[in-house]
Amino acid sequence: MKKKVLCGFLAVAMTAAMVGCGSKADAPADDAAATTDDAAATEDEAPAASGETVALTVWAAEEDQDLTADLVEKFKAANPDQTFDIQIGVESESKAKDDILVDPTAAADVFAFASDQIVDLVNAKVLQPVQDTDTVTSENIPGSIEAATVDGTLYAYPFAADNGYFMYYDSSVITDPSNWDAILADAAAAGKKVGMTLASGWYNAGFFYGAGFTTQLNEDGSTTMDWNGTSADGIKGVDVVQAMLDIAANPAFQAIADGDLSNQIATGEYAAIVDGTWDAGAVQTAFGDGYAAGALPSFTCAGQQVPMGSAAGYKFVGVNANSAQVGWAMELAKYLTNADSQITRFAERQIGPSNVTAAESDDVKSNIAIAAVTAQNGANGVVQLVGGNYWDPSATFGETIAQGNPDGTDLQELLDNLVAAVAQPAQ
Amino acid sequence: MSKPASGNPVAGFFRAIGNFFKEFGSAVAKGDWGVKASLLISGMGWLKRGQIIKGILVTLLEIGVIAYELMIGFPYIAKLGTLGTVEQAMVYNPNTMKNEVNDYDHSLLILLFGVISLVTLLVAIVLWMANIKAAYELQKRAEAGKHINNFKEDISVMMNGKFHITLLFLPIMGIIIFNIMPLIVMIAIAFTSYDQNHMPPAALFTWVGFDNFKSLFTSNLTTTFGYSFWKVLGWTLIWACLATFTTYIGGILLSLLINHKLTRVKKFWRTAFVVAIAIPQFVTLLVMRSFFANTGLMNKFCEAIGFTGLMQKLGWVSTNYIPFLTDPTWAKITIILINIWVGVPYLMLIATGVLMNIPEELKESARIDGANSAQIFRHITMPYMLFITGPYLVTQFTANINNFNVIYLLTNGVYVTTDQKLAASNAKEVDLLVTWLYNLTSGQYNYKMAAVIGIMVFIVCALFTLIAFNYLIKGDKEEAFR
Amino acid sequence: MKAKNRATAVLIHFILAVLAVIWLIPIVWLLVTSFSAYKGMNTSRFFPETWTLWNYKMMLFEPDTVAQFGAWFKNTLVIAIFTCLISTSFVLMTSYAISCMRFKGRKALMNIAVMLQLFPGFLSMIAIYFILKSVNLTNSHLGMILVYSGGSALGYLVAKGFFDTIPTSLREAAYLEGASEAKTFITIVLPLSKPIIVYTVISSFLVPWTDFIFAKIMLNSGVSENWTVAIGLYNMLNRNLLPNYFSRFCAGGILVGIPIGILFIIMQKFYVEGITGGSVKG
Repeated sequence: MKKKVLCGFLAVAMTAAMVGCGSKADAPADDAAATTDDAAATEDEAPAASGETVALTVWAAEEDQDLTADLVEKFKAANPDQTFDIQIGVESESKAKDDILVDPTAAADVFAFASDQIVDLVNAKVLQPVQDTDTVTSENIPGSIEAATVDGTLYAYPFAADNGYFMYYDSSVITDPSNWDAILADAAAAGKKVGMTLASGWYNAGFFYGAGFTTQLNEDGSTTMDWNGTSADGIKGVDVVQAMLDIAANPAFQAIADGDLSNQIATGEYAAIVDGTWDAGAVQTAFGDGYAAGALPSFTCAGQQVPMGSAAGYKFVGVNANSAQVGWAMELAKYLTNADSQITRFAERQIGPSNVTAAESDDVKSNIAIAAVTAQNGANGVVQLVGGNYWDPSATFGETIAQGNPDGTDLQELLDNLVAAVAQPAQ
Repeated sequence: MSKPASGNPVAGFFRAIGNFFKEFGSAVAKGDWGVKASLLISGMGWLKRGQIIKGILVTLLEIGVIAYELMIGFPYIAKLGTLGTVEQAMVYNPNTMKNEVNDYDHSLLILLFGVISLVTLLVAIVLWMANIKAAYELQKRAEAGKHINNFKEDISVMMNGKFHITLLFLPIMGIIIFNIMPLIVMIAIAFTSYDQNHMPPAALFTWVGFDNFKSLFTSNLTTTFGYSFWKVLGWTLIWACLATFTTYIGGILLSLLINHKLTRVKKFWRTAFVVAIAIPQFVTLLVMRSFFANTGLMNKFCEAIGFTGLMQKLGWVSTNYIPFLTDPTWAKITIILINIWVGVPYLMLIATGVLMNIPEELKESARIDGANSAQIFRHITMPYMLFITGPYLVTQFTANINNFNVIYLLTNGVYVTTDQKLAASNAKEVDLLVTWLYNLTSGQYNYKMAAVIGIMVFIVCALFTLIAFNYLIKGDKEEAFR
Repeated sequence: MKAKNRATAVLIHFILAVLAVIWLIPIVWLLVTSFSAYKGMNTSRFFPETWTLWNYKMMLFEPDTVAQFGAWFKNTLVIAIFTCLISTSFVLMTSYAISCMRFKGRKALMNIAVMLQLFPGFLSMIAIYFILKSVNLTNSHLGMILVYSGGSALGYLVAKGFFDTIPTSLREAAYLEGASEAKTFITIVLPLSKPIIVYTVISSFLVPWTDFIFAKIMLNSGVSENWTVAIGLYNMLNRNLLPNYFSRFCAGGILVGIPIGILFIIMQKFYVEGITGGSVKG
């Protein structure tokens, strides 16, 4: 209550000036001036705030706790004039949104999250726009910046470019990893399986993106899709569905439930699997010397080979706009995602950096999984911006295909239903 | 307790309210200056008669309530009509390194504290009126020359005739704060636009009347709640019947087996089944879930013994695994079976207790009359069981309507519907109303529809309870055993 | 006759054995997996390949950021003890007042209590969260205790059923001797109510160990040391963590199950008496 009243007094004077809030478009120009001398600026301002201990909370994934603690210590050492009280909490990157949106004011000041959540977070006004856009933009690969930008504003600090999927294969079994037909034939010959998650709009959209279809997020939170028509590449949606059904019906193919991939790899029954870098360790154990990875294979669609696309995923550090110490939170977020931190992160956790210099290192380039995700994202990766009502219907669509369209629904109708369902505005 | 002659509780309730106001009016009219002064300073009536401590306490309470309402309550109540008008706006100030936030309105807090303050205010007014009445009673006592209690005597009354007030004060306060207030707020949310697009603090929500109820019953291209609601409701009712019935019968049969006169080491058998429910459900059910997964142990087993092949030949399974938890029909069967696993041990314990209590001579005389054990079970054991456990069965049925754990833990993240209309409203074939409600709040933040569904759950449960208690279990057995 | 009896006995024991195996298989799987050296979930075989005590060692003595079983256990124990103290007193007080005393509005109170229980509890979760937040009690164990015990009086029905069976004459004798209502409650009725007290104590004690929904909302700071056992274990099933923590999850499940199991076995008898409204004197 007290806080609110105080903020109120402070803000009343300012309100009139900022109600418009339309100054966002030219904000980068102002910010550039304010932040070019960034390092100096913090030092200059530090005395003003020196008496006060800056209390911050950071949320990082469970596996990243120790790493984050190290980086936070380095951050403190880099800012010796300021006393900090930084607490590290646990929040998985894939579910950060779910817990933050319940009560954004209680969420961490700085948190890591996966790129698919950015729209919801921006709509809830949780993310503080990045002030130092020039540095962040120039240091990270363009795809990651594109994914972190909503309506022309950069909202988050990229730190990983490996949050996409590609194909792992056992090179002792699979001789030609370039197309589905060959892969399935090789696996069948060896009595092994090829696995992929179909019941997820993240994975199954890869077939459509590859064929030139798009998804588009509208203002009201609904998603527009052209999957039930003909794509820019002249491919019909129904043909893509038929191609997916053909793959799913292949006895060597195994549809895997979302989230069950790592358990499945461990069974040793697979010769190839569509998965991401997070399972690299498990896959390496399962495939042994045959461990290999590459971009997704092409699939046969109405007689022609179509390369498979994918939803290119990134991981970001975001700053909570509700933070009481938003300035320092931004400094910390920037620090956690700078080149050095990304190099450390790769060295300790094999997380593929989004930073251009960090990604240049030979170690990163020689990492099989990261090389594969980079190849996939570079060739056919699409930044997937969809509304909250995209996920359930697209999972349903994928599950229908995984089960081989058991009701024999007309494929066009299947797509029409999907397009209608995702077109609902967010509630 | 003097019941109104009509016996109609609603009419009686309004008559009681009428009386309350009448008595208040006459107390104000006929009271002396002490009573009249109590209108302003509540303690005056008591102070005048020498009840100093009580007078001070009552006055302090009055001051407290007024101070709360003036400082915190009224601003919220004033905004209840609109639920706020000022949207949040934020601007970063690089000099202070902080965000400057305007004095925005937080619709949910306005609703929450508006309701709390309003209820507090109403209760305070009632207490204030009751206080005037009590002061007048006191005046009458004094005029009649009767004894006036001192503070110590008042305390002893609270330990005696009015002991129930002492006993119930804290528990009821707890219920008011943790059940009633939140419930009023959530019911109110059913009439607002509180959803992901209108989430405080970033956005405001407001009253929308019965719109959400309308959309629960409409089904068109973009809104499929109407379609999903009936489907989910249907399965909820089927589930509640099956789950209650199967565990009940299963529990009785199991306890008959365990307590059969030929069974050895009864205690051992009983413990074996109790062990299964000792581990928290979120552990056992998640274990079950991986057990019955498409690629889980159960499927490996079924494949090995050729069961999967048989099912495929019969045409009951079109996949190369048995979709225990992923096909609508299979999943429903599996869930019911697993629920038997979960529920039977409880029922077994209860049935054991009840069965041991059946008067042996009843069975004996039946046996002499030539009844076999099946007849004894049908004509003596079952009626006795039903008589004792009838109320439990009714509560069990409503508990099953709200049985979140079994369905949620077994299907969340595993079951994907293939019905696009259900998916569009975030429902699944295997969802109960409560799990649907929960899915709508967590991840979708569709609080308005969740609140509407919550009210529907209440209506369903209330209807059932009313019917069950009025027709199935007649009368109140409260005094039966004294 | 004897032969027939023997056949029946064999049949009964056979059926019981089969059923017991069905009921125990999941528990056995949980138990053996908790001794598995393979960290993830092994879906290709029932028994682990290699056996180890490592999971228990890690859970109990070497907490990492994901698995802090010791801290969780302590938190849950503290919350459970206070929850059970408050809940038990609320339930007993309410039951006594409603069962043994007659006052204006008693029936109405009982009806309201029945009504309130028909609303699904999750509905009010978010409202309770903001109420507690306004007094700064989220992310605190006190807040959790209040959440679990605040509305506990609604569960008065079982205890009331028990009090209903205590003969009125006992209380009347006490009044005649000049005992106050309070004294009667404490010295006459409570000592007679051991079964229902044990039942209430144990059932309210168990609540914090099994709730993973409310606790997750209320303890939202992300600091995993503050969690309860239920959210901690549930979190281990997160898809990123499961491959490394499933066998530890099983060990945690067993560790929680042991104390609860013991309480459950003690409670068996009282549970029956409670549910059947004290009408069972077995």
